[in-house]
Amino acid sequence: MKRLLNLGMLLCLAAVFSSTPGWCDEKGPSAKIKAGAIQVAAIQAEDIPVPQEFRVALYERLIQQLEKRGFQQVYRDGDHGAASVPGLIVLHSTVRGFKKGSEMARNVTTVAGATSISVHCQFTDADGKDVLERDVIGKVRFFGGNLRATYDFAKKASHIAYENFSTTTSK
Amino acid sequence: MTFRSANIFGPLAVLVMAMAASAAPAQETSKAVKTVQLTGLAGVKENARGMLSVENGNMHFVHGKATSNVSASLIENVVTGNDSQKAVGKTIGTLSMAAPYGGGRFLSLFRSKIDTLTVEYRDANGGFHGVIFTMPVGTAEGVKKELIAQGAHASSSTLAEKEQKP
Repeated sequence: MKRLLNLGMLLCLAAVFSSTPGWCDEKGPSAKIKAGAIQVAAIQAEDIPVPQEFRVALYERLIQQLEKRGFQQVYRDGDHGAASVPGLIVLHSTVRGFKKGSEMARNVTTVAGATSISVHCQFTDADGKDVLERDVIGKVRFFGGNLRATYDFAKKASHIAYENFSTTTSK
Repeated sequence: MTFRSANIFGPLAVLVMAMAASAAPAQETSKAVKTVQLTGLAGVKENARGMLSVENGNMHFVHGKATSNVSASLIENVVTGNDSQKAVGKTIGTLSMAAPYGGGRFLSLFRSKIDTLTVEYRDANGGFHGVIFTMPVGTAEGVKKELIAQGAHASSSTLAEKEQKP
């Protein structure tokens, strides 16, 4: 009788461990896609009036944050050197929503005047085939100027890249 | 008589030559403008204060002992805009938020207008760069004109300019 109980317990434990995803299998959700390098394409906007300084800040801060995350080979839009890199991942960013707030309103009221920028991030391979797509929202709610929303976006987008792609040198 | 006229015209000729000499480089150089480089210039920290000038077909940004140059011919777009910033900013501005009776919030009401200048260019490898400067109000347009005069390109009408002209 005891043997039967022990056997039952073992079977139950085995069933629990085998059904939990990511505990035993190596190719769980945390498996990263190997990338030779990342190229950041210039920021596009879908019929949304986005000031040029915001576009430039989004682009430059995205490159800075990717480099901070440990991607040592980050290529800029149009860089001729990127064409020969095997396993290149291209990050296309398209602004889908933009609300310019007011720093003064934020400071005075605390609840009003937030700036937010919604960006669709699309990671493709060198041939243009989709690898990963995410929507990222950059916000500034209290401290800082309106352009700080671009910094928030860059931090979030680089985190997505870090979680999903691995280069040999990434942290 | 001839001796007298030589006495008068000698210094005059020197004066005219000196004026001509001082006027010649003025066509190639512009007055340096106090700016803050928000982001974009390689090797320069964010929010670095410095002097921006346009001379000999280049855009110069001098920050401390370091100088960054961008050739005007490589510039694809120059856009001006306007914004405002706290009159009492940075650390004091942030600390003042803790002041009693909304003193910090009251200080936030005092703001100064600034101009923004966004410059887009490509490096020798074809890589796209963007630089954002802020500068005293009324100066960005002058720098933009200087850059265009020395070979920079600019889109015909940009969003910021449309906003400025209702």
